[in-house]
Amino acid sequence: MALVHKLLNGTYILRKCPKPGVASCPFLSTRFADYCSSSLEKPVAAPGKAPSQRKTEGNLEGHHQREVALDITSPEDKPEVSFDKAIKEEIKDHFRRLKDDIVNHWIGPEGRPLHEVLMEQAKVVWQFRGKEDLDKWIVTSDKTIGGRSEVFLKMGRNNQSALLYGTLSSEAPQDGESGRSGYCAMISKIPTGPFERKRFYDWSQFNTLYLRVRGDGRPWMVNIREDTDIIQRKDQMYSYFMFTRGGPYWQEVKIPFSKFFFSNRGRIRDAQYKLLLDKISSIGFTLADKVDGPFFLEIDFIGVFTDPAHTEEFAYENSPELNPRLFK
Amino acid sequence: MRLLRLREVKAFSQGHAASHQLGWNWTPHLSLSPKGLKILAASLSCCGCPTGKGMSWAQAILLARGLSRGWGGICSTALTGAPFSQVTPQAPRGLHCSTAAHQPDSPLVPRPPEPQRGLVKALAPHEELFRQAPDGVRDKASFVQAVQNFTQYNVHKRGHVDFIYLALRKMREYGVERDLAIYNLLLDIFPKEVFRPRNIFHSIFLHYPRQQECGIAVLEQMENHGVMPNKETEFLLTQIFGRKSYPMLKFVRMKLWFTRFKNINPFPVPRDLPQDPVDLARLALRHMEPDLSARVTVYQMPLSKDSTDATDPTEPHIIGIQSPDQQAALAHHDPARPIFIEGPFSLWLRDKCVYYHILRADLLPPEEREVEEIPEEWNLYYPMQLDLAYGRSSWDDYEFNIDEVEEGPVFAICMAGAHDQATLAKWIQGLQETNPTLARIPVVFRLSASSGELLASSSGLEEPPLTPPEGREEEENNQQRQQQSQS
Repeated sequence: MALVHKLLNGTYILRKCPKPGVASCPFLSTRFADYCSSSLEKPVAAPGKAPSQRKTEGNLEGHHQREVALDITSPEDKPEVSFDKAIKEEIKDHFRRLKDDIVNHWIGPEGRPLHEVLMEQAKVVWQFRGKEDLDKWIVTSDKTIGGRSEVFLKMGRNNQSALLYGTLSSEAPQDGESGRSGYCAMISKIPTGPFERKRFYDWSQFNTLYLRVRGDGRPWMVNIREDTDIIQRKDQMYSYFMFTRGGPYWQEVKIPFSKFFFSNRGRIRDAQYKLLLDKISSIGFTLADKVDGPFFLEIDFIGVFTDPAHTEEFAYENSPELNPRLFK
Repeated sequence: MRLLRLREVKAFSQGHAASHQLGWNWTPHLSLSPKGLKILAASLSCCGCPTGKGMSWAQAILLARGLSRGWGGICSTALTGAPFSQVTPQAPRGLHCSTAAHQPDSPLVPRPPEPQRGLVKALAPHEELFRQAPDGVRDKASFVQAVQNFTQYNVHKRGHVDFIYLALRKMREYGVERDLAIYNLLLDIFPKEVFRPRNIFHSIFLHYPRQQECGIAVLEQMENHGVMPNKETEFLLTQIFGRKSYPMLKFVRMKLWFTRFKNINPFPVPRDLPQDPVDLARLALRHMEPDLSARVTVYQMPLSKDSTDATDPTEPHIIGIQSPDQQAALAHHDPARPIFIEGPFSLWLRDKCVYYHILRADLLPPEEREVEEIPEEWNLYYPMQLDLAYGRSSWDDYEFNIDEVEEGPVFAICMAGAHDQATLAKWIQGLQETNPTLARIPVVFRLSASSGELLASSSGLEEPPLTPPEGREEEENNQQRQQQSQS
C-alpha cells in the first residue's frame, strides 16, 4: 500500500499551490518530499478553475506532467502570455504571503488569536465546497507501476461533497518484479507557506479524526504521514482502517489517533509507537481490498475533534516475543 | 577416481559377460593404437572369464590404473557413443551404466528442444500431478490426492520447493484457498529437521534461504486469504525451520496482528454469503439500514415461465425495506411535491456487488420547513426529547464549524433483479399497501447508469407530472453493469 510514493530526484517539480492560479516559484530546489513528486506520477485531479490571465503553466521553467486541463478560458479572455510579468507576479505574491505570515505571527498561531486556538475542540481541516478544495488533493493509482486501476476525483452533488470514483483491477503488471497489484489512493498535499516552505498541521490538542463519508461498503485505509524531511520518514506512515457501510445515508467515521499503527515501507513494524500529532504532513485514503470492480467514495468533510470520552493513549502494546530488545 | 575405474572394470566385464550370453562376438571398433588394443585384449581375456586364469582383484586394479589414460580415452569415446554407432545397438553404450535399459540416442547428448505445439505452454515441473481426467472434479479431495502423489512418487522430496509454489498457485482453481488443513498439508511436504540451524554459523547466515522463502510464501498466501494459523502450523514450522527462523517470525506476527484486527469492522459481513438472491438482498438491505425496527418485505419472488431455465427469470425478485419513521414521513409528505426513484447504486458485500434503488424526496426549501413541536406534558413518565450534550459549560463546543450536506429524506430502499421501470413500478404498487398516501403522490423515475454516485439534482425544478408514475429514464446499461459486477 505504500507503493504510492516514489521519490524522483533531480527534476524540477512544478506543483500547484493551494492558492488558485499561482504557479510554483521558479527557484524551487529539488529536494522535495514525495508528496510533491507524486504529482508527477499521475495526478488525476479535476480540472481547476480557469487561471488568471497572467500565465499559463508552460511558460515557466520546469516541466509538468499533469493531465489537468487548466487552461480552459473563454475565447474573449485570452491569458496574457508574458514571462517577465509572470515572474514578477510570482515574486510579489510570495512576498505578500511572507508579510502575512509575519503579521499573523503577532496575532497568534496561524493568524488566529491564541484563546481561539486553545479553546478549540472541533476543527474542520478539509472541506469540499468548491473546485479549489479539490486542488489540495492528489489522486494516484497503480497505473504508476503498470497496473490497470483508474481513479478520478470530482465534485459531487450540488458542489457539496467530493466524489472519488474509479475501477480497481488487481491484475499484476508484467514487469517481472511485482506479484500483486491493485490500489487507488487519494492523498492531501503538504501545506506550504511563502517561498514554498513546508508547513505542518498541529493537532496536538485533538484526539480523534472525524470523517463524514458515504461509501459503497468497501474497506478503506486511512494513512497519516508525519514530517518528511528526514529521509527515513518518507516511507513511514500511521494507518488504520475505515469501513464504509454503503447505502444512501451519510456515515460518520470517528477514528481516535491512538488506534493508528505504525508501518514502514508498507509493512507493519514490530515495535509500535504512538502517533505524535504536532507535525502532521498529510492524510490519505487507500483502497486495496483485492476485489476487482468499480468503487466510489463521497466525502463531505474531514475534521479533527477532541472526544472527551476517549482516554486511551495507545492501542498496541509491544510484545516481548517480537521485540526482546525493548524489554531488556 | 579409483572407484570409478573399478566400476568401469566391473561394468565392462559384465558387459562382456552379457555379450557372451547373447552369443555374438563383441569387438569394439575403437580407434586405438595397436599397443592399446593389445593391452585391452589382454585385460579382456584376464578379467572377463571367471573360470579362466582368474587374475586376482588387486592385479585387476593395478591394470585398471595403468590403463587409466587409455581407458579414459575409451570411456570418453564410448560415452559419446560415436564409435558404438558402428556396432549393433545392443552394446552397452555407457561403461558405467550396467542396466539393460537402452535408448536410441544417449541422454547425454542434449536434445534439441521440441517445437512448441501451438497453444501448449511449457509445463511447470510436477504439473502433471495436477492434471486429471476430463471428468474429474477439482476439489479438496483431488488436491490432496495430487499432493500425496508427489510424496509417494518422490521419497526424497526432490523439487519440493517448486512443487509447493505450484500447489499455491493451483489452490484457487481447486477452491481450497481458505482451508487451513490444506496449508498444513503443504507445510508437511517439507522434510523435517533438516533446515533447522544447528550452530551459530547457521543462524547468522540465512540457513536454506530458498526453503525459508517458500515457507514465507505459504504463510503469505494464508495471510492474503485471511486464514488464521493454528497450533499445528506452529508445530510444523518449529519442526521444519526452528524457532528462530523467518517463517516462525512471520507466524508470530500473524498471530499477533490477526487477533488485534479480527473484530474491528463495525459492520461485519459474513464470509459465506448466501447464494440465493433473495437472501442476499435481505442481508444487504439490513446491512444498509441503520434503523433496527425497519421491516424487510418481499414483494415478488423470482419466478420463471419456463421452469427449466432458472437463469433468466421473467419475474425478478423485488425486496424492499422501510422503517416506521420513514413510513410516518411518507404519510406526512405533501402530495404536490413529487418523489423520485433513484438508482441503481452499487453496494459491495465482500466481493459481491449488488444494486439498490431508493425512494426519496427533494429537500424542502427553508421557508417551508416546519418543526414539529411536541407539547411537554404529553408524556409524564419520561421526556420525549432528550438533549444530551457533551459540553460542560458555555466554553465547550464540539460542533464543527461547517454546514453539513443536507439531502432530502429517504423513504424506502429496494433491491430488484432487474433495473427497469416495470419492476420498480411493481415495487411502488407493493409499497402502496403499507403507505396509502403514495397513491396520490407523483413518482418520477431517475434511473442512471453512470458510476454509482448519486445524481446531481437540478434543484428539483423539473415539472412534476401529475399522473403517477411517469417515467423519464436516462441512458440505461443495466446488462453491462450486471455483467461487470458478476465477472
